[in-house]
Amino acid sequence: MANNKIKQSTGEKVFTVFNYMFFIILSLVMIYPFWHVVMSSLSSADAAMQGGIFLWPREFTIDTYEQVFKNRSIFTGYVTTLMVTVVGTVLGTFFTATTAYALSKKEMPFSGIFLFLVVFTMLFSGGMIPNYLLIKDLGLINNRWSLILPGLISAYNVIIMKSYFQSIPSSLEESAKIDGANEVIIFLKIILPLSKATVATIALFMAVGYWNDYFSTVLYINDQDKWALQAVLRYMLTNTNQAMQNAGVSVVAATNVTATTIKSASIVVATVPILIVYPFVQKYFVKGVMIGGVKG
Amino acid sequence: MNKKFALVLAGIMSLSVFAGCSSSSDEASTPATPEEKVAQQQEVIDAPPIDVLNQEEKMSMSIVTMQGHAQPDSKTEQWLEERYNLDIDIVVLPGWSDGVAKVGLLMADAEQRPDIVWWWGMDQDFQKWIEAGIVVDVAPYAEKYTVMKDYYNKQNPETWFFASQDDGSMYRIPGDVGEPSSETLMIRKDWLDNLGLPIPTTLDELNDVLYAFTFDDPDGNGVDDTFGLGGDGYDIRSFWPWIQGSGDGYGDGTGEGYFWIDNDGEFIYALTSDDAKIWIERISKLYADGVITTNIITDTDRFEEIAKGGFGVFHGWINHNNPNDTSMRSFYASNLDAQWIPIDMVAGDNGNPQYRPAPAAAWCYFAITDACEDPERAYALWDDVSKPENYVQKRFGIEGEDWIKNEDGTYELIVNENPNRNEEENIGIALFKDLFARKDEYNIENIATTSDLYKKALDGSQDIRVHKVQHKDISKYPVWLDKSVDLTDTALEYMWAFIAGTKSMDEWDQYIEEMNSLGLAEVLEELSTVYPEQQAAYEKYLSTLE
Amino acid sequence: MLREIKKYRWMYFLLIPGIIFFFVFKYIPMYGLKIAFLDYNQYAPDKSTFVGFAHFIELFQKDAFLDVLQNTIIISLLKLIIGFPIPIILALMLNEISNLLFKKVSQTLLYLPHFISWVIMAGIIGALLDPTNGAITQWLQALTGEKIMVMTDPDYFVPMLVISDIYKGMGWGTIIYFAAISGVDAELYEAAWIDGAGRFKQVMNITLPSIMPTIVIVFILNCGNILNAGFDQIFMMYSTFVYDVADIIDTYVYRMGIVNSDYAFSTAAGMFKSVVALIMITVVNEVAKKLGNEGLW
Repeated sequence: MANNKIKQSTGEKVFTVFNYMFFIILSLVMIYPFWHVVMSSLSSADAAMQGGIFLWPREFTIDTYEQVFKNRSIFTGYVTTLMVTVVGTVLGTFFTATTAYALSKKEMPFSGIFLFLVVFTMLFSGGMIPNYLLIKDLGLINNRWSLILPGLISAYNVIIMKSYFQSIPSSLEESAKIDGANEVIIFLKIILPLSKATVATIALFMAVGYWNDYFSTVLYINDQDKWALQAVLRYMLTNTNQAMQNAGVSVVAATNVTATTIKSASIVVATVPILIVYPFVQKYFVKGVMIGGVKG
Repeated sequence: MNKKFALVLAGIMSLSVFAGCSSSSDEASTPATPEEKVAQQQEVIDAPPIDVLNQEEKMSMSIVTMQGHAQPDSKTEQWLEERYNLDIDIVVLPGWSDGVAKVGLLMADAEQRPDIVWWWGMDQDFQKWIEAGIVVDVAPYAEKYTVMKDYYNKQNPETWFFASQDDGSMYRIPGDVGEPSSETLMIRKDWLDNLGLPIPTTLDELNDVLYAFTFDDPDGNGVDDTFGLGGDGYDIRSFWPWIQGSGDGYGDGTGEGYFWIDNDGEFIYALTSDDAKIWIERISKLYADGVITTNIITDTDRFEEIAKGGFGVFHGWINHNNPNDTSMRSFYASNLDAQWIPIDMVAGDNGNPQYRPAPAAAWCYFAITDACEDPERAYALWDDVSKPENYVQKRFGIEGEDWIKNEDGTYELIVNENPNRNEEENIGIALFKDLFARKDEYNIENIATTSDLYKKALDGSQDIRVHKVQHKDISKYPVWLDKSVDLTDTALEYMWAFIAGTKSMDEWDQYIEEMNSLGLAEVLEELSTVYPEQQAAYEKYLSTLE
Repeated sequence: MLREIKKYRWMYFLLIPGIIFFFVFKYIPMYGLKIAFLDYNQYAPDKSTFVGFAHFIELFQKDAFLDVLQNTIIISLLKLIIGFPIPIILALMLNEISNLLFKKVSQTLLYLPHFISWVIMAGIIGALLDPTNGAITQWLQALTGEKIMVMTDPDYFVPMLVISDIYKGMGWGTIIYFAAISGVDAELYEAAWIDGAGRFKQVMNITLPSIMPTIVIVFILNCGNILNAGFDQIFMMYSTFVYDVADIIDTYVYRMGIVNSDYAFSTAAGMFKSVVALIMITVVNEVAKKLGNEGLW
């Protein structure tokens, strides 16, 4: 609505000022919690224990980070999570696309049945214990594939992709067929390149899901070296002393460090990569979601 | 039409595949008749003992543990591996909150099941493990390799008796049993002196001290930043002085035992007793008045609380009195003039101060599972580790650096300058500490005054100790087994809400009503019929020891 | 027929991985629900016996479960009623911002919490609400003169859940409405402007009606989720103090099943939830269709 030129009534002017103020305050509210954690992680133990509002570090120190980085599970957590996120996102996006492409052909025999079987999984599921028993029977307990496979394809993503594929004019495929290409080639060479934005969006959804997944580790992984980052972090946050002791640091005995600052620092260590990458990928997902959104 | 067809199809597909999947379980062990079992066990006992120090074959051994430095290849682990020709694999549990869940999942999976499992609580699961035949009966091994059994029977025969089953079989080995009384009341002597207060000897005096410590600026810094009572959060043991001092003192209900028996032989569920109402009301008043640390109602780390300080009274472990105690060392490092001293338990309503009797049953156990390739060897070597000279090595580290052996044969602990030595240098001494722990003279961290405190606490707990009720074989109490989760969850929920003030004491009757609707009466009924049998069985067990 | 199938053979080929996935990871667990009808011993599955609906009957005799059901519905209804309109209002307001850079920065910050896991959010919220040194606790104390311990006080815990859920999700929720707003025909605004309608009137008369179909679809989807009160969020933040008001079906299933290892009973509770959700979404979808909207299927 490029109606900037329109002359504003007084009421509208007041609203405009209010509107800007509102979003400035809201933005501060959105960012402050993260700021607070970063600043408290850079403060001394005594200052952090007093608490209160942190605009800047109080009694600046990086002792806490020195201790936190002694905890090698943070690194193993990063390795696992990166692996799971990359493998899961690549495979998941690809198989979501193949499934969605096949289901986008309404005239294919049985396609309706298959589509129903996919949609039905959105409405009804086995739940926690049956899922656990399945992973156990598949022999995937304590195996990183157990963090990847159960979330590989979701019906919701298939539906979004399917409706996008259906919006691609079939004439493109027809002409390729005349050149003798089969559907697999068409899918790889024509359809996928055409669908970059949607594919990127699905990939981002999946990546965020894998990156933030905590619970699969609780259920399926025994070996601490294979824990995903979120599980390591959760352990650091709820059993701070024990987690650090397992890692070779007694928080009780270390000076200028306390559970409060250790918690803050671990949150920062686990969050900073997201904060760095996030602004760069943001424009892609907004575009992608718009496409998915309009299609409903 | 399409949809119906699809559903049927899905159903058929599921069924057909699952037919292939469900046969994956292992063949069940063939149940032997009691006579056969006795014969088999006698055979084990009669066979020559295994020489665990000279085994050709390397045995792999996965061990579930929780505490301590979890990095692999600690010095202690290496020592065990070399000495007994083992390949040890440590499975570390994810902390007190999720640990139980993880043990359950590990045990339910034949492929992940460890050779040696360590756990606490989980009575219901333990019964299922026995039924399923996945834990090994070590009774015959204990006849043959007797270090652990002899130790427990010397300390207190109840411990071994509680760990065994009624038919004499033994599927679990006590892991750690506290000293008969292991807690004391500690107070900041320097604060008392600053305010010119005498050491409190009664509950009322103790309360006065708490208020003075909170409001009269005991550290003289001019800031209102002190509390009276502090310590381990979300643990009712922190309130023991008030519990023992309220009524007859039968208000203590923790995971170690929820029942008491009074002088008339009447059974009492601690957390619904009249005594409980008195102490909860007292504590909730203290909490509301702000003389107890705010976060005592949250699940704090007791060691960090003590290291932080900021309060003048706590009820906690006697071994904080030892010079190697990490939390106290940390506390003194930043509070140079402070002085904690243990004081005698204060007298309450009945004028008979009592230290808290620790349960005779172990708080944690370990067991050998069916995954272990040679259970007898596993038991035998663990029994060997438990011999005093080996135990000192396992528990306290390297000779000459962590401890020395005196000429008279006694051991002495070296208090290391660096409190992080164990972790930083990966000595690994905390890792196996709950898989058999000695509390006799080979617990060499105790200095003389600490040992005296244990003795005093033991003597000072006898009057109330005889009223404590403990279940032995939980399967003999099916009603309790069925209802205990709901009952204890509800009781603890109410208790903490009363203390925190989120529920008013006026709701006490409603709470009792809810507990009754959950079947408390039936539980007590069952107890009064089954418990005497248990006592009779114990008498019998004692007679076999002589 | 066969010829048709042959014609699409490469399509079926593409479908194979998806079919295998859905069959193994979705349909086998559905068959796994059978343990809700067994006296299941996970340590010796062979020894399980059939008990019919016993676990379901037990479920409904337990006050605890009825409380849990009630909590689930209350929490998710609160989240729905309070949380649903906020992204719509935000999207409309943000749409009125004409400075593009300002708009972009605001959007970036608004979306941010969506990408942060509940583990981290719970850590941050826990720090801000710490009973002794939390910034918000101290601020509330200065404001009210009372020490309010939100995380352990049943009166404040549920509002905290609702607020933190809105905080995390409201920005992300605006995206779909932006998409809808951007699809509104610009000519409509011009016509309205010529008629002398101010901006407020334009929003009420044009923008809002135009995005109504989107609002309805989002609403249906939310209604279908009425028994999902937010497992991750609550699991990370609750404690025994607030079980009374915050224990929901999913956390109950976890505690009964995984912690107390009563697999069968907990599966029954989970299955009850799945069945209700299935019924809910079917009903809401039919109602929406009756009201003239496009349904989900």
